[in-house]
Amino acid sequence: MSEWRADYLPEHIRESLIHDPRVAEQDLKVDVKEHRVMLGGNVATPQLRETITEVARELLPGYEIVNETTVVPATEPDGEEPVA
Amino acid sequence: MIRIAAVGDLHYGAGSQDLLRPSLQHLPDRADLLLLAGDLTRCGGTEEVRVLADDLRGLPIPMVAVLGNHDYHANREDEVRRVLEEVGVTVLEGEAVTVDLDGARIGIAGTKGFGGGFRGAHASDFGEPEMKAFVGHTKMLSDRLERALTDLDADLRIALLHYSPIETTLEGERLEIYPFLGSYLLAEAVDNAGADLILHGHAHHGTEKGRTPAGIPVRNVAQPVIRHAYNVYTLDVHRQVMAAAGGVS
Repeated sequence: MSEWRADYLPEHIRESLIHDPRVAEQDLKVDVKEHRVMLGGNVATPQLRETITEVARELLPGYEIVNETTVVPATEPDGEEPVA
Repeated sequence: MIRIAAVGDLHYGAGSQDLLRPSLQHLPDRADLLLLAGDLTRCGGTEEVRVLADDLRGLPIPMVAVLGNHDYHANREDEVRRVLEEVGVTVLEGEAVTVDLDGARIGIAGTKGFGGGFRGAHASDFGEPEMKAFVGHTKMLSDRLERALTDLDADLRIALLHYSPIETTLEGERLEIYPFLGSYLLAEAVDNAGADLILHGHAHHGTEKGRTPAGIPVRNVAQPVIRHAYNVYTLDVHRQVMAAAGGVS
C-alpha cells in the first residue's frame, strides 16, 4: 500500500480507528494539520478516550495527538417525560 | 401509567464494567420496563456483551432489546443474543413480545432496521446487486416490523428500532450520512400498523424528539443524545385503551 497522501490522511486515520477493535468508534472527528492530529466526538468511557490517544499515536508516530473527545455521562435522568 | 426506561448505543467493551450498574440500582423504582435500542457492544464480541450482561443480571423488571449494527460486526449476533437472553433480556428481530404490567398488555415489536434515506431522497433497489441488497434489506425488515406490530394484541404498542424512522431525530448529524442512519420505510411500516411510541438509537449527534408523518412520537435514545444512563417515558395506558374504544379524542 502506498503512503497516505496528506489530503486523505484524516479519513484514513478515521477508518483505522473504526476498524481497530480497541476503538471501533464511528463517531470520531479527525483533523490533521501539519504534525498535529485533532480528535473529537463522543466516547463511552474514560478508558476508551485514553485508548484512542494510544492508537492514534501508533498510527502516526511523531505527531502531536490532541484528544478533544468527550466522555458521555451515564448518570440517572432527572425526571420522566409523558409521551402518550 | 406505564414507565418505560430506554437507552441505546451503550457500546459496551473493555473498560465498560459497571458503566450502567450504579444508575441501574434505582431503575426498578423508576421504571416498569427497560428497552435497549441496539449497539449494545463495541464490535459484537461475546466478551463485550458479557460485560453488559453482568450489569443487567438480576434486574427485576422486564428487559427487551434489539441489536444494532455494531452488534453484528463480529458475525456473532446469535451469540450476542444468547448471552443477553441468559440474563433475561428478550431480543427481538422482526418479532414482538407482550409484557403484562399492572393488568395492561404492553406490546413491543422490534427490529434493527437499516438505512436508505428519507422521502424524496431514498435509495432504490435498482441497478447493481449491491444496491438491491442494501435497499432490499431495509424493505424486508420494515415489512417484518409492520407484520409484527399488526399482529400484536396489546393495550399499548411500542416499536423498538436501532436505525431511525424519521429525519427529525437526525438533526445535528451531517446530511451526507442520513441514508446510513435510517429509512422512511420504517416510519411507514409503523404508521401503517399503528403504535403509541417509537424508540431508536444509532444517531449519536441527532435530536431526541420527533414524530412520524401520522403523528406517532419518536424518541432517539442514543446514549450520546440523552446523555444519561437511560431516559424514562410514561404512557397512560387507560387513556390509550379509552381512545382505542372511541372514548377519548
